[in-house]
Amino acid sequence: MNPGQPIEGLDLRRMGSGVVILVVGGILAAVALVATLRHGVTEWSYALVFGALIAIGETVQFRVDRSRNRAPIATSAALGYAMLRGPSVGMPPELAQVIAVTAVATAAGIVPRAIAGLRWDIVVSCRRGISVACAAAVFEALTRRDLAWNGEWVEALWIAGAMMAGVLSAGLSDAVIGAGQATERYNRPFPAALRDELVVMTRIGMAMGITAILLATGTSLIGHWAPPVVIVPLLLTQFAFRRFASAQRTYRATVRSMARSTEIAGFSSPGQNARTAQLAVAIGNDLGLTPARMEALEYAALLSGVGQLALADPSPGGASLLRTREERQRAAEIGASVIERSGVLDHVAEIVRHSNDPYRMGRANNPGIPVESGIVNVALAYEQLVGEGTGQSPDKAMESIGLGIGAEYDPVVVESLRRVIGRGFRF
Amino acid sequence: MLAGSVMRPRVGQVYRTSLDYVLVIALYLLSGVGSAILVCAVGALSQDRRHPLVKKIFNGAQSVLCAAAGGLVFHYTGGPRAGEVLSEPWDAIWTTTAANATWLVVNAVLLCLVLFLEGGQPSPTTFIRKVALPTSPSLLGYGLLGMLLAVAWLSGLGFLSILLIFVPLYVSRWALSQYEAERRAQAATMRAFIQVIETKDLYTRGHSERVSEGVGLLGRHLGLSDDRQTALEHAGLLHDVGKVGVPTSIIQKPGRLDDSEMDAIRLHPARGVELIGNIPFLEEVKSAVLHHHEKYDGTGYPAGLGGENIPYFARIIGIVDAFDSLTSTRSYRPARGVEETLDILLQDRNTHFDPLLVDAFVEVIRRHGWKTLDQPAPDGSKVVAIDHDDLSLGSGGGATGNAAGVE
Repeated sequence: MNPGQPIEGLDLRRMGSGVVILVVGGILAAVALVATLRHGVTEWSYALVFGALIAIGETVQFRVDRSRNRAPIATSAALGYAMLRGPSVGMPPELAQVIAVTAVATAAGIVPRAIAGLRWDIVVSCRRGISVACAAAVFEALTRRDLAWNGEWVEALWIAGAMMAGVLSAGLSDAVIGAGQATERYNRPFPAALRDELVVMTRIGMAMGITAILLATGTSLIGHWAPPVVIVPLLLTQFAFRRFASAQRTYRATVRSMARSTEIAGFSSPGQNARTAQLAVAIGNDLGLTPARMEALEYAALLSGVGQLALADPSPGGASLLRTREERQRAAEIGASVIERSGVLDHVAEIVRHSNDPYRMGRANNPGIPVESGIVNVALAYEQLVGEGTGQSPDKAMESIGLGIGAEYDPVVVESLRRVIGRGFRF
Repeated sequence: MLAGSVMRPRVGQVYRTSLDYVLVIALYLLSGVGSAILVCAVGALSQDRRHPLVKKIFNGAQSVLCAAAGGLVFHYTGGPRAGEVLSEPWDAIWTTTAANATWLVVNAVLLCLVLFLEGGQPSPTTFIRKVALPTSPSLLGYGLLGMLLAVAWLSGLGFLSILLIFVPLYVSRWALSQYEAERRAQAATMRAFIQVIETKDLYTRGHSERVSEGVGLLGRHLGLSDDRQTALEHAGLLHDVGKVGVPTSIIQKPGRLDDSEMDAIRLHPARGVELIGNIPFLEEVKSAVLHHHEKYDGTGYPAGLGGENIPYFARIIGIVDAFDSLTSTRSYRPARGVEETLDILLQDRNTHFDPLLVDAFVEVIRRHGWKTLDQPAPDGSKVVAIDHDDLSLGSGGGATGNAAGVE
């Protein structure tokens, strides 16, 4: 089992609650399609233009942060289509038609990705469809169908308000579903997961929502000219985002590679840093740390050994547990000062500095020491006991770590480790 | 409406400049060219007080001139006004885009003029090549937001429309600044890491960063593209990263090394590639790290490549690596002078190095100079390790025979 890895494509066994989302999305799409086919499609041209935008957006989706793929153009286009009104659009699309067009276009956008072997995630696409349906329903409930932009501020404010409400409902529904999924997949506490999703919503979500409003307003006023005019700046923004995302990936790979230097130098066994980081991340998720702190925690766990590079000779098998505490603390101090020198990872340095402090002499009396230090400390110890080569059973390792509760190890972290191991975490 | 538009939102300077021209384009459509120029003039009066007067005047004049030039084009191409925007959107799109293009051209010309008059760096041609041309397509694209602003304003939303336009602009700025931040973070992290690896030997301290600087000078002289320039500098910084895999005892071993110890040293390029293999650098970075100890006559390691078969970046790094090594102090010998070292490089230009690149490098160093740092004086009383760069220099061509410490 590897809880850190995102699922791809159609892998029903590993989807968990994703199956529910998939079924709800599928039923919604099927019902909407049938209803639309029976009533006939109104305003074909707009359905085609927005459908094409959604499909293109779906095809050029990309990943920011480490979370999941995002398709800002598809989201904005679908939300925009849901909120069209006169004067340019004579017969605004009905709820069923909005959902049907979104569903068909999304499917059309995924096909090229699947053929090209790129990452695609049907559950994420379904979530997008469900949130668009929410927005369309709220918007339709708040505005009459014949309400149109006529240049008066009363109508304009009313429609804009309904749009805001629609976009907000889309964001909220997606945040709740997303938080549920994060809870299931990474065992994060639900409130923490919801908080993280809401934070993301106020950033990327707001940008997508505002763009959708701009798209809908523009199209309602100047018709077919609006989508290209909105899409050009949007594509430029997406391009800037992609560059940022790729720089971010490069940076992360750099930190990981630097961490591996201790393995190449013989200070730690192959994969040791990665295993320690994997466990530290699982514990961090269990304790519901914020994404920023999770990132620092992962880096700290990866880099906890770099201080050894400045020490003379590698210890056999990289077992830093065998060395004296003074030596380990000195290595941690050196490592922290190395990391600090980069000038951008100060928080990581702070975690590493205290990662070898015993709980009783450190965090128990000094609340300034981050809990992440305790996590790294426990993860290092557990990896030493269970990791490749030494091969104790998890139960036995848990037992020896349990002996150090309160003195060597932070009780909160050990409790969390017990839960993580109990759920079946294995390296 | 006009009075309202004059009250520009008070946001950071950076956002203001990009918001400025979007606002001006919207003003062309909403209230005419005259008011757009007026707004620019008023805006010029409310500049940051800390700027010197000359700069303020120039900035103000520049924005007024740009707005006027753009406005003229807008006027003579028959740009629509107010209500017409909604009925003739295509006219609005192409006239504002034409005005936007004019604005960009005038802006670039004015800036070039200033750069030319000041005569400093960067030169007007570099400015056009590196700044003006790459940014203009996106500025042209974001100009469409001005037209959307006018449409949203006319819809009855009024001031709220500015909010709608501001968010996409802000997000793109944010992404751009984050991109820069990530790039800086990466560079800083790699430098910090290299410094740790170099702590093993007092005398090679700073070597990788100096090599990175040296290859940077040579790369700019050779006119590499931005991407490749960055890649080359990264490769220069990381070329010895594999030394982390060489046991400290060998690096610090006094005197000559036996064959097995030499083999351990010869492994360091491969170790380096192993270490950085997962970082999505350009492929050239990895090949440069792997082959930076190859020699032009094919006697180097690890693959014994010769001539043009040695990757381009590796040839560049080989030269700068040798140069910095010779101009640095080693425990067993003092540093050589820059001119003396350049002569050594020129003597070896066919055996060790790519002759054309050596010539280019010598030219660059003679023009820009090279600052050597204060380093610990050689300690004659101790027999200490011979740096691997010196070793590789000494074992091949006879010209640098005493570089290996056999004085």
